[in-house]
Amino acid sequence: MISVSPKNLMATQTKLDLHNLTAEQKALDIKGLNLFYGEKQALQNITMAIPKGQVTAFIGPSGCGKSTLLRCINRMNDLVDSCRIEGEINLHGENIYSKQVDVAALRRQVGMVFQRPNPFPKSIYENVVYGLRIAGENNRRVLDDAVEQALRSAALWNEVKDRLHESALGLSGGQQQRLVIARAIAIEPEVLLLDEPTSALDPISTLTIEELINDLKKQFTVVIVTHNMQQAARVSDQTAFMYMGDLIEYNDTNTLFTTPDKKKTEDYITGRYG
Amino acid sequence: MNKWFKSGSPWIWLSAGGVSISLISVIGLLWLIASRGLSYFWPADIYQFEMLDQNGKKTQIIGEIYDRESIPARQLSHLQLDLADAEEVERLLVKTGNRELVSLDFRWILVPQIIEQSTPEDIVLIERRTNGNFYGYIDALILDGQQVSLDRLPEMLARVTEFQQQMEELQKVDIGAINYQIERLRLQERKHRLEQTLTPDTEQAISEQVTELQADYQQLEQELLALRAKVSRDQLKMRAMDGQIVTINFEHILKVSFNNLLHFGEKLMMFFSQIASFISDDPREANTEGGVFPAIFGTVLMVLLMTVIVSPLGVVAAIYLHEYAGNNALTKLLRIAVINLAGVPSIVYGVFGLGFFVYMVGGSLDQLFYPETLPSPTFGTPGVMWSAITLAILTLPVVIVSTEEGLSRIPGSMRHGSLALGATKAETLWRIILPIASPAIMTGIILAIARAAGEVAPLMLVGVVKMAPNLPLDGNFPFLHLDRKFMHLGFHIYDVGFQSPNVEAARPLVYATALLLVTIIVALNMTAVSIRNRLREKYRTLEH
Repeated sequence: MISVSPKNLMATQTKLDLHNLTAEQKALDIKGLNLFYGEKQALQNITMAIPKGQVTAFIGPSGCGKSTLLRCINRMNDLVDSCRIEGEINLHGENIYSKQVDVAALRRQVGMVFQRPNPFPKSIYENVVYGLRIAGENNRRVLDDAVEQALRSAALWNEVKDRLHESALGLSGGQQQRLVIARAIAIEPEVLLLDEPTSALDPISTLTIEELINDLKKQFTVVIVTHNMQQAARVSDQTAFMYMGDLIEYNDTNTLFTTPDKKKTEDYITGRYG
Repeated sequence: MNKWFKSGSPWIWLSAGGVSISLISVIGLLWLIASRGLSYFWPADIYQFEMLDQNGKKTQIIGEIYDRESIPARQLSHLQLDLADAEEVERLLVKTGNRELVSLDFRWILVPQIIEQSTPEDIVLIERRTNGNFYGYIDALILDGQQVSLDRLPEMLARVTEFQQQMEELQKVDIGAINYQIERLRLQERKHRLEQTLTPDTEQAISEQVTELQADYQQLEQELLALRAKVSRDQLKMRAMDGQIVTINFEHILKVSFNNLLHFGEKLMMFFSQIASFISDDPREANTEGGVFPAIFGTVLMVLLMTVIVSPLGVVAAIYLHEYAGNNALTKLLRIAVINLAGVPSIVYGVFGLGFFVYMVGGSLDQLFYPETLPSPTFGTPGVMWSAITLAILTLPVVIVSTEEGLSRIPGSMRHGSLALGATKAETLWRIILPIASPAIMTGIILAIARAAGEVAPLMLVGVVKMAPNLPLDGNFPFLHLDRKFMHLGFHIYDVGFQSPNVEAARPLVYATALLLVTIIVALNMTAVSIRNRLREKYRTLEH
């Protein structure tokens, strides 16, 4: 079985009852979510609640729908023409798919970091303040503070503080990914979605980012998609295992990796397929 | 052999051959126009030929050798020359000038008829404002009716040049401005009359202003006359090749040079000063002499105006097609239509510009805003603005296509990154997509400039003229006169080369103008390319 770090064991001592969370404990409440790409159904009746201030991991084999589910949370699937969604995702008790929702405002509350680092071809500073500028903040002092804070939170400040106005494209892959995280947290979202954030990085950068995720959950609710089970075990408080568009099992990480309920979960985490 | 084919060598040779042919033709073209064009500016030696014609009569010919060629001897059989059975006879084309004595500037002379050929040091070339060059010897220098020593020539020339400059300034700037103001006042009065708002007061005021301006005008004219009298004080008496004495007033003299006396350094200096005056002077004598400054100015201004019009239009159209229009049959049709527009012959755009912009739009503008000048049109006649707009339409497809290509090359991760930070689509476009696409937009603009700067055919219908009295930009309000007609280097080449009364004389000018046109287009392009490279460096995206 996969070892679980002592730190995480500590976290799980204040165990939440995932299936009966109170309204205050919930960051996101997904109810009966079905998603279709044209005729093909990619998500089937997903119902789950994601607790506040914790790290939730989605695992599963390629094509199981874990990234699709993640993209539903900040409505990035809207960009796909053929995509159709049923069911609801509630943030603060409000369905993000209702007609009144301002998608741009939603995305300011639910930030996202992608698989490959995608810094804009601007300076490091301008990358970090991009979201703030969009939100209409132009006060130099506020922006300076936000940059320092975001870069410190993303554990990048010490490496880039002397070259804030140089191009972000001169950074290494791992630094770029942390910059992108800094960019996402600069606008202080409530939820941070990480879509396989380390899959394009080397082991050392991966380690840095994993440590970072542990720090981030003090401020944000983190949802991470990963195909790396060790990573899920290391960084997350609870894990959801998905397979072929179904949510098979959702439990706290320790339980899911040590005593899975379902046969499919056990087969996957013991490496029989996937 | 088979192996040789498989290795790909034949194809490498073939493609290398293709490259060499293109390279050779480009270099050959540039070399031809550069050598022919630049030789126009080189101060040539002036020869004196002693000729013996078939009747045994001796004549003297003075001039520059322009060209030489060999012709078959039997073509000359009617002249009954003693050619000693030569197969071919060489002949020279000599520029003899002196238009008041001989009607032709050039004449062919046969080499076998030349008895003696020399380059006397005291032969003078006089460039004149009218009547072309004069070649001959200085007989006497007359200062205010008195003959003086030749040493005073440079000083007298300098004095005349200074007065000439003052006169030009007076005529073009001061008197031009007064004429312009009087015309405006006349139009103002006419407008009041048309709108029936002319009160005696305003009429009084206007006529007072006109009287005032006319008084100024009188005064300036007096000054001008005084200057003209000063300028025409002195004369040069010249002895032409047949011994006739010709008096040339200093008023007409532009330059006096002893070409045969110049050593290499002086010739080089004269060469560059001639190039400089070619670039900065106005044309003279039906465009066959003088400079091409108005044509350079017109070409550059028109191209810049065109760029200002076409860039936003093309970029906006491409953004709509690529970002907002649905991906359906109609969009595809539109795209095909845009691409096909690029293949429409340019003269068709000229016809469209004349019919639609000049007559319809311009005519309506005149009726709405300039009724006082009618029936003489303001915008309802070809002009620099209509030319710029017509060429903007002509180059629009180029900008649209390359902008769209640029937009589609931007990785999706850039858009997603921006959208995920709470930017709307429009904000993403404005802040991320357009900056990254700017090198591609610049490529489109470069191609548009390259196409527009070389285009002549449509311009002949919508604004280019052989000789424009005024530049489209001057010191009179509103400074940029978009309704004016303009001169263009491309049209200038055609006009000088094929429409001038003196085609022989104009030929080097054609090459020189062509060289200048190429230089200007290259300069415009290089500027745009360097801007693009800077943008490319700045917005280099990650290779995804």
